[in-house]
Amino acid sequence: MGASMGTAMSAAMSANWLLLLAPLTPLLLAGLWCLQGYRDSTATPERRSAPPPAALPWLAALAPVPALLIALFGSPGTHLILEPVLLGNLWVLDDVSRALLGMTALLWLISGLYAQHYRATRSDTQPNTSQHNTAFWLCWLLALAGNLGLILCRDIAGFYSCFALMTFAGYGLVVHSGSAAAKRAGRIYLIMAVPGEMLILSGLVLAASVAASPVLHALPPAIADHPWGSGIAALLWAGFGIKAGLAFLHMWLPLAHPVAPTPASAVLSGAMIKAGLLGWILVLPLGLAPVPWATLAMTGALIAAIGGALIGVTQRAPKTVLAYSSISQMGIITSMLATGLMQPALWPALAPVVVLYAVHHGLAKGALFLGVSGLTGRARLWLWLPALSLAGLPLTTGAAAKVAMKEVLYDASYPGLILLLSLAAVGTTLLMVRFMYCLRQTQQAADNTATPDSGSRALAVLTGLAILVSLIGLPWLTAGTVADTFTQRWPGAADAVQLLWPVAAGLVLGGLVGGGLASRFAGRFTARGLAIPAGDLIVLAEKAAAGVATLWQRRPGRTWRWETLVQTEGRWLARIGQRIAQLDRRISGQAGGLFVVLAIAIMLLASAA
Amino acid sequence: MSWTSWMPILVLLSSLVTALIIFCLPENRHATRGLLNLAGAVIKILLVTVMIVGVEQGMTFEARYTVLPGVDFILRADGMAMFFAGLSSVLWLFTTLYAIGYLENSPNRSRFFGFFSLCVTSTMGIALAGNLFTFLLFYELLTLSTWPLVVHRGTEKALAAGRTYLIYTLTGGAVLLGGVLWLYGLVGDVEFREGGMLRDMPEALHGQFALIFAVLMVGLAVKAAMVPLHGWLPLAMVAPAPVSALLHAVAVVKAGAFGIIRVVYDLFGIEFAASLNLLWPLGMMAAITILYASLRALAQTQLKRRLAYSTISQVSYIVLGISLFGPVGTIGALVHLLHQGFMKITLFFCAGNYAETLGIHDIKDLDGAGKRMPLTSAAFTLGAFGMIGAPPLAGFISKWYLGVGAVNAGMTWALWVLIASSLLNALYFLPIVHRLWFRPRAVAGWPEEQRLSQRFETSGWLLWPTVATALFIIAAGVFAGMPFSPLSWAQLVAAGEYL
Repeated sequence: MGASMGTAMSAAMSANWLLLLAPLTPLLLAGLWCLQGYRDSTATPERRSAPPPAALPWLAALAPVPALLIALFGSPGTHLILEPVLLGNLWVLDDVSRALLGMTALLWLISGLYAQHYRATRSDTQPNTSQHNTAFWLCWLLALAGNLGLILCRDIAGFYSCFALMTFAGYGLVVHSGSAAAKRAGRIYLIMAVPGEMLILSGLVLAASVAASPVLHALPPAIADHPWGSGIAALLWAGFGIKAGLAFLHMWLPLAHPVAPTPASAVLSGAMIKAGLLGWILVLPLGLAPVPWATLAMTGALIAAIGGALIGVTQRAPKTVLAYSSISQMGIITSMLATGLMQPALWPALAPVVVLYAVHHGLAKGALFLGVSGLTGRARLWLWLPALSLAGLPLTTGAAAKVAMKEVLYDASYPGLILLLSLAAVGTTLLMVRFMYCLRQTQQAADNTATPDSGSRALAVLTGLAILVSLIGLPWLTAGTVADTFTQRWPGAADAVQLLWPVAAGLVLGGLVGGGLASRFAGRFTARGLAIPAGDLIVLAEKAAAGVATLWQRRPGRTWRWETLVQTEGRWLARIGQRIAQLDRRISGQAGGLFVVLAIAIMLLASAA
Repeated sequence: MSWTSWMPILVLLSSLVTALIIFCLPENRHATRGLLNLAGAVIKILLVTVMIVGVEQGMTFEARYTVLPGVDFILRADGMAMFFAGLSSVLWLFTTLYAIGYLENSPNRSRFFGFFSLCVTSTMGIALAGNLFTFLLFYELLTLSTWPLVVHRGTEKALAAGRTYLIYTLTGGAVLLGGVLWLYGLVGDVEFREGGMLRDMPEALHGQFALIFAVLMVGLAVKAAMVPLHGWLPLAMVAPAPVSALLHAVAVVKAGAFGIIRVVYDLFGIEFAASLNLLWPLGMMAAITILYASLRALAQTQLKRRLAYSTISQVSYIVLGISLFGPVGTIGALVHLLHQGFMKITLFFCAGNYAETLGIHDIKDLDGAGKRMPLTSAAFTLGAFGMIGAPPLAGFISKWYLGVGAVNAGMTWALWVLIASSLLNALYFLPIVHRLWFRPRAVAGWPEEQRLSQRFETSGWLLWPTVATALFIIAAGVFAGMPFSPLSWAQLVAAGEYL
């Protein structure tokens, strides 16, 4: 009997170890790509580098498979403690991580296969495609490892490590195309992401200094009891909020998400954006204590939800419209967290809904992004399915998520919350109409030149798969307690009106704008500067910075560059630098004197003593 | 004398004998010299390893010799000593390997390696010193044995830098001597002991102790390159890359920081120092140094100068950690002593590789170097991210402990200093990393390219030590919880300092 128990235990232990496969598979494959990169770099004109083995991109694309299998077949409650790793490493598969892991792995898998066939515009910008592909897959796999790791990792250092890995590898995906727009987006991405990491670090340090153990679930009670708890929570709110596209911290998002290659856009906007959300769920004192700034957070969430939609409809590029839609959708999810911060009693009911909504949005947004370059001609019409699901049309998963959300939020004490969220839903519908319109405009131009080949057929099939998954994947991925909430709240007829009016209003509005009126008014307005440039506030900030830089440099007409400020080219810094260097020289010139004075002082003191 | 008292002496002899033989060797016996150097380094590592295991099991290794009545020469291996000795002996091996490759075909190698070994002998002496007198002896010896290395190239600039170096360090040493004599006059010979010795002295002396503390700190702050006594360090970067590694990571600045650790923990005792209100001024000085040097680093256009200012800033992390009362801050300070060594040595090795292979000294010439020298650039990237404090690298572990230590010590402002400094680190390191990997290579080509190896991007002597120290940056972070990791050892040592 002892032996059988032993085998059972070792089987359980080995099952726990399997959790590591999720982040380690992409990490090891990234190692293989490093080798490939090394081979590329040692190539000389005489000794050309061999192209990567055909299996390598396939393996990279299939890297999320172990994670997907874990999400589907892993038993909840599986956990693994690795004491020697970092400050004590903990991996947990629970309902939250399971649902998010499934969504994330599935989206990365489909997008990875898609990326294998995706060759739009890439070969034009960079002649050396082999090296370029290596860089792309390397960043892809590292970002994937980070994304999967942070979902499963539940100790502070491990979670933060994965988060940082994803952030920095994500930069490589954003700037991949090498265009000027990509470089600008990458710059702003880093300018916002690095301070974001610092906000998170300071919040984690402050919370961890009073926490009982270095695991994440020790943090919410620690923050709730801390005298500066609300301040710590605010730091973490802002830090993770940068990743989640919080209002006024969102500016990098509509620049960075669209400029990446389409499959990378899909994972950025569908999966990676949820990392900030997960961070909030894991560390904020949700359900424990109210925080005083929760009302402000709610207002911010609603500004993102409605403002994102309003700015989004003025955009022309389909992917930018989708990026603003992500801000708007994350705003809606954020409103649930803000409710949890306002009224802790509501959080237990909201928590599964947040996960549900996040999974729904991830799948739908991923499918929409893939559709931008995956479908042509009439096939594009299929995109209406995830689009309307996002808007919450009855009988879609979006409707289920929305009903579940509103049921709890009726008890929230924020005035007019339901109405404002319905307005956001109208906005979502409008955005989707705008997206389909813009997609048609841009693709009409492209359709004339493109010739269908096996590659584009594969893209179409994969997009179709993504759409299918976005429609039926939700209950399948959230099997477990999350799904119980979900089946209980499957919308009935009574909810239909509730759900339908925002969609209908959005469609009618969109139809009006898109129809006759468009050519008269909207078209003219958007053409004449009513359109808000992508990245909205950052454009103002850039202009201001350029103005300031010009003032400093007193050199009109120079374009503002980031490094100008960083390095000595900026006269202002250089002047201070010179002063300090003078001071330095003076100090070093008179070091002897300095010490003589000190020595005399010491001797005097000594004799006095 | 038992074998345990021979151990500390043998550790010193392993490089002292090497030095003496090398001085006697003719200039052209390169192979013999290299072999001797490596044998010395390996033997030293083995000896230190034996002592580390012994200390972990509670053994004492002590050699004592009375120089004058009342003044003892003491070498003792305690946890703290093993921390510094372990760091220096391991890094010395890598630096020796690197130096052999770096100085290939250059003149005066006999002189260089002789003083190189002397330098490490003095560092080991500083690590193992059991009282202030012994410490001072080796501290001065270190100054004198480093000077020939700084001026090794013999150029006008090198000589000027060497002059500044001597003015700073000798006067700093004199101030330190003043402090030591003052203390000796008051209480006689004081040994380093866990928890400190001075708190048992009569209370009437406490006022003078505070002044002595200030004097000792001024003397030690010169080598630790704390503002405003840091002026020699950026100038000394004219020295060859292995010497920079020695100055910045293995020996000199570390000797200053280690001296501050000894004075605060094992002479005064952290609790006594805290009760005399001596810690927060120290912390303020460290904070000023951290921020000032980070700002200065931003304005540098030369790679090695930027790294030099970064060192000034990073070494003061250690001092900041010392000033944080509480075991967590202590762990942060100790572990950063080691982590900073590995990160900075990697970065200086990389700077040396770029300079030797491609002739790059200016940051702006680094565009696209990642494709030409992928392993070096990967190592640089790891070092830079480690310095920024990105998890899961070594720098994160030390920054985490320093931050939590600051909050626990009630000095939350120090956390903001750390955060601000991390941001500044990112500002001056990320553009370099960006240039390496994301910028196209300049059309004009590299300033001065040499093909040092047929198979690799640069000579193997230069490449493999760099790669090894870079791998350590990952290992020290990812496996921080392992027994005998820097973090575990720091926890062990710190536990002894608080009663």
